[in-house]
Amino acid sequence: MKNLTVKLIIVLALISVGSGFFLALTYVYTIPHIEANAARDQEIAILETIPGAVSFEEIRGTDFPMYKGLDDGGKTVGFSYMVEGGGFQGMIGLMVGVDPEQEIITGVKLLSHAETPGLGARIGEEAFLGQFLQKPVSDNFEVRDDVDGVTGATVSSKAVATTLKRTLPQALEQYRVSGGAK
Amino acid sequence: MKASYALFNGLWRENPTFRLVLGMCPTLAVTNAAANGLSMGLATAFVLVGSNMMVAALKKVIPDEVRIPAYVIIIATFVTIADLALAAFFPEMYKVLGLFIPLIVVNCIILARAEAFAAKNTVFMSALDGLGMGLGFTWALTFLGIIREIIGMGSVFGINLFGEGFVSWIIFILPPGAFLTLGLILAFFNAMLSKKKKVQCS
Repeated sequence: MKNLTVKLIIVLALISVGSGFFLALTYVYTIPHIEANAARDQEIAILETIPGAVSFEEIRGTDFPMYKGLDDGGKTVGFSYMVEGGGFQGMIGLMVGVDPEQEIITGVKLLSHAETPGLGARIGEEAFLGQFLQKPVSDNFEVRDDVDGVTGATVSSKAVATTLKRTLPQALEQYRVSGGAK
Repeated sequence: MKASYALFNGLWRENPTFRLVLGMCPTLAVTNAAANGLSMGLATAFVLVGSNMMVAALKKVIPDEVRIPAYVIIIATFVTIADLALAAFFPEMYKVLGLFIPLIVVNCIILARAEAFAAKNTVFMSALDGLGMGLGFTWALTFLGIIREIIGMGSVFGINLFGEGFVSWIIFILPPGAFLTLGLILAFFNAMLSKKKKVQCS
């Protein structure tokens, strides 16, 4: 009996060690690709949300990760910030571009989410996010009144709208304070 | 047993979705679009082949008393590998399906094949069985996804079929649509098979 117990423990331990070994191998091999994907997505999102920007610089000392978009002459053409808000099943990560002079939204991109595939996940589509373009920073962002929600995904749609409403004035304020405006 | 039997068993005769009615959680959850069903099926097929081969290879080493935890560790390992690989090499697909990939661990087809087939057969036969079952699961999920996407969104694999005037039945891409579609397909399969039996009898 005692021998059997020892055998069971040894076999399970060996299988676990083997499994851990293969997982570590896979992790080491895939993590550079995964990080590169995330970094590339972020870079594309920053440039896409600031029209006219060809490069960007990180702005330090703000509550949100914030980036200043520069045109080919090195002039600031706007900024974008990264924000997370609670969605239907998890956090929704957004990149939001703002024109600080006209105080309007210049772009919204979905970075990460855990919404239902085919339903809530459709908040990433242009048909939904495109509606926020050119809206003033001080807009109410009421789903139904100001923007149309995604069919069957009211919670996810509202999550995006309220996240924008909550953070936009704050982000603009911080952009000005942290010297991004110069 | 012939190799072709092991391979084709899962495709039709013992199709995991329509005949064994196993793995209903992912079947109902991800089939609101054809592409989702297809990629979920392929990810499951990969895990099935991997875990079946590993279980068959280790069947003499694993004592009966701890075979279930041992199988679960093996299955979870392959699922995590699939999860990481998908995130690294197919980031677009991962954004859509990422949420459901870890759930492959609890898909009962995989544990069922490990227990019912791989634990009694050779590595080669188990690989064929895993492939057949996996592809059977894949076509079933894709089939369901196609039907639900056509009725619910008017498109197939994201390609619009009917143009602007089409009024879609949103309910078909929502959870109730999964039950309705699956129920009708199962009824159809059962009716077809029972008719066949009657003909044979008479």
